Amino acid sequence: MQEQQLENEIRNIIAEIIEKKPEEVTPDAKFFEDLGVDSMMALEIMAAIEKKYKIAIPEEKLSQLTTLGETIRVAKEYLASGG
Amino acid sequence: MLDIETIQKFLPQRIPFLMIDRVIELDPGKKVVAIKNVTINERFFAGHFPQHPVMPGVLIIESMAQASIMLFCDDPDKTPDKHATYYLSSVKVRFLNPVFPGDQLKITVEPVKVISNAAIVNAVAQVGDKEVAKGELSFSIKE
Repeated sequence: MQEQQLENEIRNIIAEIIEKKPEEVTPDAKFFEDLGVDSMMALEIMAAIEKKYKIAIPEEKLSQLTTLGETIRVAKEYLASGG
Repeated sequence: MLDIETIQKFLPQRIPFLMIDRVIELDPGKKVVAIKNVTINERFFAGHFPQHPVMPGVLIIESMAQASIMLFCDDPDKTPDKHATYYLSSVKVRFLNPVFPGDQLKITVEPVKVISNAAIVNAVAQVGDKEVAKGELSFSIKE
């Protein structure tokens, strides 16, 4: 349940920033090829997730934000460590 | 305090497109407070609007963007070899009150997220204690 909630929250954050419908942001849709995300949008996604969950994600993880699934995986790493 | 000469060492913009006059507070990478004095001599007031001079909101955004560049000024005494190029990529700003000739804009910018080649900042523009615009700017930096 909590897993599902996290997925939904992160999906909504991404959808709002990239101006797509949440249902278009499927776990495997590729940000750059499929969803038209550019590097600055990826940074905005990272910053929005940091703000929402009060965590700090290091810059080198930015290139790993390639799909919703990958973004959740990265977020979880830092959520687990207590932020 | 950084005067206009020092500011121009760090900003690539020049007259008539310098939208800050002075930096009154600088904490590199953390906070910049800049001021822009708005006078009736501004060229844009001739057309915006002839009988009703109001500072264009896009130029308030430009003031915010130029103040943001100053966040990257580590050492005001240094003269950088060349200017980096700053590409504004996203702006989310709400305009709260109009700005008229005679107003002094005070722009405060603080980073939300800074990485080596890009930044997202929060910016607030005030006239006196009144907020006239506030929002978020994202931009990338190419050396």
